[in-house]
Amino acid sequence: MKKIVVIYESMLVQMRQSFVRPMFKFCLFFNPIISTILLYEMYINSGETNYFAYVVLGSGLMGLWGCICFSSAGDINRERHSGTLAIIYTAPVSFREIVVGKIMGNTILSIFSFVMSLLVAKILFHIEIDIKNPFYFLFSFVATIVVFVIIATIVAFLLMLSRKTELYMNCIEVPLIMLSGFVFPVDLLPKPLQLFSRLIPSTYAVELLRITACGIEDINNFWNKVVLLTGISLLYVLGARLLYRIIDKRVRIKGNLNVV
Amino acid sequence: MDKIIEVRNLRREYIRKKGIRNKETIVAVDGISFEVGRGEIFGLLGQNGAGKTTTIKMLTTLLAPTAGECKVLGFDCFGEEEKIRNKINFIFGGETGVYRRLTARENLRYFSNLYMLNSSKQKERIDEILELVDLKNRADDLAETFSKGMIQRLQIARGLINDPEIIFMDEPTVGLDPVGARMLRNIIIKLKEQGKTVLLTTHYLQEAEELCDKMVIMKDGRIVKSGVPSEIKGGYVTLEDAYIDLVGGQVS
Ligand SMILES: Nc1ncnc2c1ncn2[C@@H]1O[C@H](COP(=O)(O)OP(=O)(O)OP(=O)(O)O)[C@@H](O)[C@H]1O
Ligand SMILES: [Mg+2]
Repeated sequence: MKKIVVIYESMLVQMRQSFVRPMFKFCLFFNPIISTILLYEMYINSGETNYFAYVVLGSGLMGLWGCICFSSAGDINRERHSGTLAIIYTAPVSFREIVVGKIMGNTILSIFSFVMSLLVAKILFHIEIDIKNPFYFLFSFVATIVVFVIIATIVAFLLMLSRKTELYMNCIEVPLIMLSGFVFPVDLLPKPLQLFSRLIPSTYAVELLRITACGIEDINNFWNKVVLLTGISLLYVLGARLLYRIIDKRVRIKGNLNVV
Repeated sequence: MDKIIEVRNLRREYIRKKGIRNKETIVAVDGISFEVGRGEIFGLLGQNGAGKTTTIKMLTTLLAPTAGECKVLGFDCFGEEEKIRNKINFIFGGETGVYRRLTARENLRYFSNLYMLNSSKQKERIDEILELVDLKNRADDLAETFSKGMIQRLQIARGLINDPEIIFMDEPTVGLDPVGARMLRNIIIKLKEQGKTVLLTTHYLQEAEELCDKMVIMKDGRIVKSGVPSEIKGGYVTLEDAYIDLVGGQVS
């Protein structure tokens, strides 16, 4: 119960802090506009006609993920600069929960970039928002958000080990977009890379979004992917817990959290 | 008196990278030992770089010792930190340590949540503490509109939010005006009356002499002298003369 309060409060505090940041607003408003236009231009001669499944979902997901990733990575540094990192790190509630709360705060704000993509697609290109299985789509969308929070949490933990977080962030953001098939299907990747894709839960989440948007042809296939997604996500959660325990010790031994 | 802080042969090294291959080991704290009894005000003095902040970081569970023993309330600061964290708090000097985009009250509310304060008690505690640091009439202003000293006061309030048994203060009067510095000294004395333990560092020797029951003087990571203020003074008239002699300066 108390954990939930901490996650919730951290989320609210984070939302207030992120929203006033110009860079965050830029990611929220302009990134989706630009990527929607670019993707539309890319897909217009591709023969693919379901613009919603590729253009809107693609740019929306890219915007959402970029926002979550960059803000969450930078947040640890921002806490460091404001001198609050030491305080939240040594508070009796686990720092883990605070980080999760922060990422959830960023995520909720980031959903707006999805809305921006939708609006741009609708207004500029008159793309039909045609979702064949709206209920399943919504379910998949929520699953996607949860998966993003899990991955971003792991990324944030890893970045506790370094100060050069923004640099590393760039190395993580784009590969995930490619490997998870945000903008084009994973099947187009070279085979060895596809193997990696299969180990990342967001790959399944994105597939679920596309399947439900285009219309589920084989419900078993849908549920298979749901099971895979859940299984891999749970493994990631377990991994994140283990990882945190290791990193929590390591930052204090190496002194590289540089909290004050 | 029961020993609430026990430090024995405590050592902390930092590895600093020099170029690509070379590494340099810096011994920030070099085998120090001291004890603090419950209800004491304990001073940690020494020149810049003597290792005071490093010692406080280890005691507040922010940093792991390289070697030696570092215990607070009988628990290891590295390994048993969960048993310590809700009973201590710290105040670092300077204008950081608060969220500038939140109001004073919102800051305190958030931090009290992190210390899992009862929501019924929370409001009362926050009002009480804002009064204590004289920020009541600015409670609902954003911290970014505060002066340096006001942020410092808010930090002090934050450090007291969980009614800690032990409060660590690293140069807490830096940046405070004379009235603010006096306010903090009075708070420290009040805390002592309530049976709290305070470990503080300061470069103001007069302040240290006025407040501390006991103190240690550190130099290059080692303790060069410890005891009650009169012991430290030895044959010198002022603490300052004794201090300068101990850290190897020239006493005029
Ligand atoms: N993160 C770090 N990495 C490398 N060296 C460090 C680090 N933090 C402190 N040091 C070194 O450890 C030594 C002790 O530093 P510390 O901050 O504990 O001193 P201090 O007594 O608090 O000084 P001051 O009075 O200036 O605050 C210094 O030589 C400092 O350069
Ligand atoms: Mg210091």
